[in-house]
Amino acid sequence: MSDRAAPTGRLMLGAMRFAPWRYLANIILWTTIWVLPVIPALIVQRFFDSLELETGANVATLIAAIVAYGIGRIVIMVTGMHNDILFEFRSGSLLRRNMLERIYEMPAAQAVQGSPGEMISRFREDVDHVQETISWTVDMAGAITFGAVAVWILTGIDGGLTLAVFVPLLVMVVIAERLGGRIKRYRREAQEATGRITEAVGEMFGAVQSIKVAGAERSMVANLRRLNDGRRRAMVRDKVLTAGLESVFWNMISIGTGLILLVGAASLAADNRLTVGEFALFVYFLGFVADTGYFVGIFIARFKQATVSYARMIKLLRGAPPTRLVHKVDLGLTGPEAPVLISPRAASDQLERLEVRSLTYRYPGTDNGIADIDLDLPRGNFTVITGRIGAGKTTLLRALLGLVVAESGEIRWNGRLIEDPAAWMVPPHAAYTPQVPSLFSMSLRENLQLGRADNDEEIMAAIRAAALDRDLAEMPDGLDTLVGPRGMRLSGGQVQRTAAARMLLRRPELLVFDDLSSALDVETEQILWSRLLDEQAGATALVVSHRRPALQRADQVIVMEHGRIAARGTFAELRVGSDEFNALWVGQGG
Amino acid sequence: MIPVRSYIRILRQYLRPLRGRVALLTTMALVGIGLQLAAPQLIRAFLDGAAAGWETSRLVPLAIWFIAIAVLQQAAKVTATYLSVDVGWSAANDLRADLAEHVLHLDMGFHKTHTPGTLIERIDGDVTSLSNFFSSFTIQVIGNLILILGILVLLWLENLLVGVGVTVFVGLILAGMVKVQAIAVPRWKAVRARSAELMGFIGEQLGGTEDIKANGGDRFMIARFTRILRQWLPEQVRGRHGFSMLWAMGIATYISGVAVVFWLGSMLFNDGVMTLGSVYLVFHYVQMTHDPMEEIRAQMEDFQKAGAGIARVEELLQRRSRIVDAGSTLLPAGPLEVTFENVTFSYGDEAGDGRPVLEDLDLHLPAGRVLGVLGRSGSGKSTLARLLTRLYDPQSGTIKLDGVALPAVPIESLRHRVAMVTQDVQLFGAGIRDNLTFFDHSVDDQRLLDVIGELGLTPWLETLDRGLDSRLEASGSGLSAGQAQLLAFTRVFLRNPGLVILDEASSRLDPATEEMIERAVGRLLEGRTGIIIAHRLATIERADDILILEDGRIVEAGDRKQLADDPGSRLSHLLATGMEEVLA
Repeated sequence: MSDRAAPTGRLMLGAMRFAPWRYLANIILWTTIWVLPVIPALIVQRFFDSLELETGANVATLIAAIVAYGIGRIVIMVTGMHNDILFEFRSGSLLRRNMLERIYEMPAAQAVQGSPGEMISRFREDVDHVQETISWTVDMAGAITFGAVAVWILTGIDGGLTLAVFVPLLVMVVIAERLGGRIKRYRREAQEATGRITEAVGEMFGAVQSIKVAGAERSMVANLRRLNDGRRRAMVRDKVLTAGLESVFWNMISIGTGLILLVGAASLAADNRLTVGEFALFVYFLGFVADTGYFVGIFIARFKQATVSYARMIKLLRGAPPTRLVHKVDLGLTGPEAPVLISPRAASDQLERLEVRSLTYRYPGTDNGIADIDLDLPRGNFTVITGRIGAGKTTLLRALLGLVVAESGEIRWNGRLIEDPAAWMVPPHAAYTPQVPSLFSMSLRENLQLGRADNDEEIMAAIRAAALDRDLAEMPDGLDTLVGPRGMRLSGGQVQRTAAARMLLRRPELLVFDDLSSALDVETEQILWSRLLDEQAGATALVVSHRRPALQRADQVIVMEHGRIAARGTFAELRVGSDEFNALWVGQGG
Repeated sequence: MIPVRSYIRILRQYLRPLRGRVALLTTMALVGIGLQLAAPQLIRAFLDGAAAGWETSRLVPLAIWFIAIAVLQQAAKVTATYLSVDVGWSAANDLRADLAEHVLHLDMGFHKTHTPGTLIERIDGDVTSLSNFFSSFTIQVIGNLILILGILVLLWLENLLVGVGVTVFVGLILAGMVKVQAIAVPRWKAVRARSAELMGFIGEQLGGTEDIKANGGDRFMIARFTRILRQWLPEQVRGRHGFSMLWAMGIATYISGVAVVFWLGSMLFNDGVMTLGSVYLVFHYVQMTHDPMEEIRAQMEDFQKAGAGIARVEELLQRRSRIVDAGSTLLPAGPLEVTFENVTFSYGDEAGDGRPVLEDLDLHLPAGRVLGVLGRSGSGKSTLARLLTRLYDPQSGTIKLDGVALPAVPIESLRHRVAMVTQDVQLFGAGIRDNLTFFDHSVDDQRLLDVIGELGLTPWLETLDRGLDSRLEASGSGLSAGQAQLLAFTRVFLRNPGLVILDEASSRLDPATEEMIERAVGRLLEGRTGIIIAHRLATIERADDILILEDGRIVEAGDRKQLADDPGSRLSHLLATGMEEVLA
């Protein structure tokens, strides 16, 4: 994957355009918040002048003015905060939503690369980071405006002195700019170290049962400690550099004050001596000038860090243009919840014949995969694919369903060429049960429906057909039973049959399942096949299996070997005619 | 509520080993504070000197001193930052590792209700916010409090009235901050909890893309994502307003500080008690309380996050595993004898939906024999294995190995002697070596290679460029199910268990690979007691005894050959219906 710099500016602009009025309001509010401190500066100057020069300003009036200022500032700040969180939440949610949608756009078996922990950190840290940076662009606008106002006021008092105040500020900004590259590198290292830990923790708890059973808790934690230490080193470097810069900015106040004193000492001989009020004004502004410099410097650094985060998110898009991240979409955060749309079944889509010609797919960088697969499934046909591990059985199903993108070959549905199998081979046309199905931490009913509105009768029918009815009867909460994270509360066989019921509930034209019965016992398997095939009569099915009940019922059996079809025929024909098929059976017969 | 006690307890426990660095950090911080307090005195001397008409040559050294102090203070601050970050991460790392270890030891009931995504948020997210707390809180909050205290002392010395006035002002502000903090913490807690939920949801999505896409569930998942966001938004807004309140406190601080100086300063100056330089000094010091308070305020945000984090970390640390590890009897070497006496077990959670999975189960398996367990899925077969490895404890009855009740054996020693292989092989995104040894670096390579050779995996290993260092993915991609299964066997072979439980171990494999595994199983069972939990009859060919379970009860048990020969037995019925799978 290339490490090309992300178009950070363009992406930020995209986020701003997503909620333009909020962003605009943010600029106005936060610029005001930045510029307001000019008011107390002038009030303080008046106060000291009133003492030293006896200008006769009324102290009570000055106190009233400063209190009024405080109240105004608080009101504007609270409003600004409210607007800012709404903006930040929207722009951050947009990134998360678009990443999630992109994952669903990609061929499903290829969509997720890298560990779950690392992927999650893109949804978590990287989005937070970018969001913060965008929200800080507003502070940048405020800082610049404030800087302009401050320079204008101060040059009115003493131009030379103003120069002495602002020169160190400029130097600091330049230093920050120079150090930016290093901050970027340190930050990336720190993020990578964090990613490794997130990943390790995620995997550790994903595999908690294996770890417990192996009694390996201690060595797993020792490994975590090693990773922890790596991150500490990266973090110390990152934070010390950042803090060093911050400290320089904060100390500008002191150094600036010292410079004012020096210039003041030198100008004593002259007549235009600074008043204490003017001195206070200068020192006061120094504080805010330091704030400004601090912000500009940190913003530059943050901006560079955001580039790192964007680059990581773009990597997840896998080829989509970077602007996909800020693609406008209705987040549905307000108003009534939108219903989930289910595509209706068109009569013309009813499967009469599925033809596959020369279907070829190879896993990138390997020779593994499938080649030149020809397949014919007339309506009502029950086809079983069998073969050794690595023969390409699952890959064949994936290529047919568009879960991987085939290199060549064509798929025809009733003679019509299917250009985009991933879009076509979904309910109501096809549905799929993978070898190791995934369930989600919701109720059993929601897992089956996945947004459909089937009634309980329909659900119960699918459950019965999948031979899950006896299990369901034993669940105290019935269809409302929570299956736990990834379906962990169910047994392996129950997960498989739940996934089968999920597929059947969609009453697809084509049923595709990969080794459905692998976690089932003999009796349950028998029940399953008889219900699937007898009660769902007329269903067209494409199945990976090694089991005799399936093979004997098959209208055709396809034997795969090294990614190609080695033989095809009925069970009886293959017993006579295929060495590979017999080799498989001798293996099982023992 | 601020969990102050938890803060202090955790702080003490994790900072103790870092005493040396903490002492240095304290010194640096104090030096910085001293310099900060000294600087304004120079300004007053300068202003009063200038008013008294001093020569430039007397004033310039004061200005230069002022700059020198500023530079020194900066150096002290950066050093302190380095130390504080280092100390903070070291302490948080220790806590993170301890917490991970604690959670790993919690019972499976806990893990079934907590996604890895949630635990990432707890163990990494929460603890990381604590590392800020360890470093920044100590250095910023305490350091700044000392600075404020120093300022107050100097003001008291300057003028009694000023001292009292500013002290009252600081006291009121701090009291306000504590109050606001108490409002804001629960809000942060809600925000973070929802964030954990969202990340758990996304983690699940990433693992189930094929299921979702191919069954047309992607729109639904996006809708669910939207629903979580809808719940999160108002919590975020409330959380942010908690933060606004803190900032408002900061503004109020500044305003009231200025007002106090205006009032007292004008009064004392006009009475001739204070010089103009002294009024400026007071103004400067009061101004100086503003920044530390702002910093404390800013730290309050981290403090709140840490507060929310600490509350959850404590909650997690206080959770006790329902599996109590208090045994001290070690199991003997060699094959183990297995006994179940009246064992009843249900997975029922606290809610108590407890339908027994196993009921009144009695079982005796002499050492060295192999038991084949049959039954529908859900009949309780897998539960036998989970009880024997103490992933769960039965509600009543006793399980013994070689006559020793399981709770009498330390869990680590038990799991060393009882090995279990499930069909779901869990891998790590790490090298093959680490996957086999669970990152235990004390296992030497030769031993690994020997075991790999014994299982017939050597040819496969030789196809990999980097041998044992070749990286595997946690998803198991690039590895066939059979290879994954054989790796799981390797893990077991590396130990020397006296009891081997194969739970559905040979499912999901094509028959040719299965044969390879069968050979490995044969080797594994040599000289060991074995329990094979099978879904298919072929896998129990090697069993000496048979046990058939139905709804958690034994419906048939006995010698395999005798049962097979008895035409009335369930086994022979099963053989008659199921054996057709096996060709004659």
